[in-house]
Amino acid sequence: MSPAFASMKRAAEQPMQYAADWKARTGRKVVGLLPMHFPGELAHAAGCLPVVLQDDAEPVTVGQANVFNFYCGLNRSLIDQTMRGNFDGLDAIMFGDHCVQLLGTADVIRAERPSLPILFNQLCTTLDANWALRETLGTFEQLWKELEDLTGHEITTSSTLASIRLFNRSRAQMRRLYEMRRRGEIAISGRDMQTVVKSSMVMDRAEHVALMDELFAALPRQVGSSSDITVYLSGHMCHAPKPAIIDAIEESGARVVNDDLYVGWRFIHADMDESLPPIEAMARWYLDKNRKLPCPTRTMQGIDWEDYLLGEVERSQARGLIVLMVKFCEPHMYFYPEIKEAFDRAGIPHLLIETEHEEMPMEALKTRIETFVEIAKRRADSKAA
Amino acid sequence: MGSHVMDNVVAMTGSRPVFGTGERANKLKSTRFGSKLVNDYWNGVFAAKEEGKKVVWYNGTYIPPFFHSHDLVWVHGEAWSAMLAARHQEVGAQARGDQRGYDRELCSYARTHIGQMLIEMDKARAEGGAALEDPRMEAMMKLPPPDMIVNAYPYCSSGQQWDDITYRVFGKKVPMFTIQIPLLWGGRSDAGYMQGEEWHQRSRYVADQLIELTRFLEANTGRKFDFDRLSDTMGYIKKAAELRLEGMEMCKARPAPASFFDWIVSIAPMSFLPGDQNIVDYFQGVKEEITQRLLAGEGAVKNEKYRLFFDGMMNWNKVGWLADKFAQVNACVVAGRYTHMSFWQEPQLIDLKDPILGMAQNYLVCPNNHGAPIMIGEIEKHCDYYEIDGVVCHASRTCRGMTNSQFLIAGSAKKYGRQAMFFEGDVADESFYKDELLNVRLEAMVEAMEAKRRAA
Repeated sequence: MSPAFASMKRAAEQPMQYAADWKARTGRKVVGLLPMHFPGELAHAAGCLPVVLQDDAEPVTVGQANVFNFYCGLNRSLIDQTMRGNFDGLDAIMFGDHCVQLLGTADVIRAERPSLPILFNQLCTTLDANWALRETLGTFEQLWKELEDLTGHEITTSSTLASIRLFNRSRAQMRRLYEMRRRGEIAISGRDMQTVVKSSMVMDRAEHVALMDELFAALPRQVGSSSDITVYLSGHMCHAPKPAIIDAIEESGARVVNDDLYVGWRFIHADMDESLPPIEAMARWYLDKNRKLPCPTRTMQGIDWEDYLLGEVERSQARGLIVLMVKFCEPHMYFYPEIKEAFDRAGIPHLLIETEHEEMPMEALKTRIETFVEIAKRRADSKAA
Repeated sequence: MGSHVMDNVVAMTGSRPVFGTGERANKLKSTRFGSKLVNDYWNGVFAAKEEGKKVVWYNGTYIPPFFHSHDLVWVHGEAWSAMLAARHQEVGAQARGDQRGYDRELCSYARTHIGQMLIEMDKARAEGGAALEDPRMEAMMKLPPPDMIVNAYPYCSSGQQWDDITYRVFGKKVPMFTIQIPLLWGGRSDAGYMQGEEWHQRSRYVADQLIELTRFLEANTGRKFDFDRLSDTMGYIKKAAELRLEGMEMCKARPAPASFFDWIVSIAPMSFLPGDQNIVDYFQGVKEEITQRLLAGEGAVKNEKYRLFFDGMMNWNKVGWLADKFAQVNACVVAGRYTHMSFWQEPQLIDLKDPILGMAQNYLVCPNNHGAPIMIGEIEKHCDYYEIDGVVCHASRTCRGMTNSQFLIAGSAKKYGRQAMFFEGDVADESFYKDELLNVRLEAMVEAMEAKRRAA
């Protein structure tokens, strides 16, 4: 393991510890971001450390007092972490999403930590409405003001543009890594890829960019085994799947070549336009998201997630699709049948794995994955023949 | 409905819980007029295509005045699912949804409605309209397909996704219009119930979208929208809403002359029935009956001893069942978040000369579209007004919109010396309801309220 990757791993595994160290070192504020569409660039431009709040591996215990067990693992974990004091180092939370479960979670956090500011500015959810641009610009202007109030400093246009450039560079680095994996130039595991993206969500971006440069220099150029079956991972739209699930997939003779996971390609797929005024760049980045990678929590006619997946699976030369569905994730539950039927029609094998925050029966899961890999292999062989 | 499956369901729900004193709820008789109105409304829906009317499918808030004023027929997905559940006819639609792969944890309103759409599509695809022999389908055979889809969901993100699926099930051809009714988070220093910068900003934002809705309706019908007619429609609605609130306020009396369950069955006239003289007559009748009961000292629950507040979405499979259940322990559920904090609950905001802003504001103040502190503050006001002893939270399994904040609501009840309890169930999926769980918790709650009184 390279020193650069080891640093990323530490930050990814203990994001709040990293944030506390950063705060002690810089004397600046740490702003938590609730997923999934709010730009960290603005908090960065305000001199803060934006940290995407993650679920942790701890089972939900004290949090059970404030959340029903039929909520997704991310929400239950965020509430649990709040009650365990994990987020006490935060100076504010930025939040603009629409998922009904996250709205409730934000309210629980406010009730448990009334002195922690939550900068809530709900984004327009109908991305192709004729008022969407106007409304989104207004939302970010409001957030801009609130961040200035939080820090007591003016946020300048030039600092915001610099943050946009930095974040674009960071995303471009990670996309390059994805492309190298897709082309088979490197053999990076799904677990390690998750570490790279997750660490970018929580680290000082300039530090992460420097670590990525080191990582590229140290990465051994090698290809995965040609006997591996290539698969595409889809789902987990707000937080990372358990690394053990990705390990189980790869240990079953599959090689992950691409994904649309939030802690993955979804987080890094699109840049902001550096030639536009920063507010407009952020607004357009948000409004164009679905055209580039559809999200079922946003309304946009003519843009279909399953079409995107079919195209990306083909582009990635994946032989199968594995859908990782977070238990109780309503947006995903609505759209899974659409994906399933599209892949059935296209004759591409797919496997649904419902994931849970608490321990999962990994041995039973392995059997299912191994069966799927066998099916995908046979299908690929018969196609080749 | 003659299927053996439905017979089983009906046999179960036709019985009454063996519990407590055996008393039944003393239901208002005037609400029966609502059943006629509801039946007339659905018959009108079923006849829409024959009468050459265009049909809008919509979900979310009480937006039909726009459709009524434009001579459209409207179908509310939630109302349809609730009606099927209330009549114990939901099983077939849910089974069809299951078959396509919709997870059981998904909103049961949506699962039922989508399942029905799939049945309709099956029918349409079958050559020569092959008959579906299963009698469970009977109630689902008449719903006219949409010419337009309108989504106007406050708070709950699930509603938008549900309508997106509707759009897709009908081949992505039906014009769809989505109104965003944003949450009033209430984080700014001037925030309060119907006040502050956020309130005014968001009111205007929703009002602007409602104007856009009228343009969408014009574009898809080729007819100009008649704003004068909208004002006329809102005149009836405003009057009915005022009568409803007056009737509710009269239930401060002991014993309360009407209960939450009477207001539950009065939701349809306020939520989705046509805005005409009938709904005024309905609430006039309800108010008159309440007045008579008040004069006679007659309560909705015989020997009312405890007064409760109901939090959460309704369990439509169990309306009568629950009404009796509480009556059997001499507890009157006097008010509820769903009934008393929604459905044109601020009629004074509606200016009949220019009603749109006031309509937008009523949509914004739906019972869960405020952040928890303001919403709970409003619940506390209701609990104080009606002198509530305890808060009952229905943890409706697939409705996160109403279960969010329920632990905070229970906490607030206890803070002010009220008992609080939870029971599990769902809006339209009976399988999540656990009768014995409610029995033991309700008994314990009654014991606690009694002990508190003895100690006082």
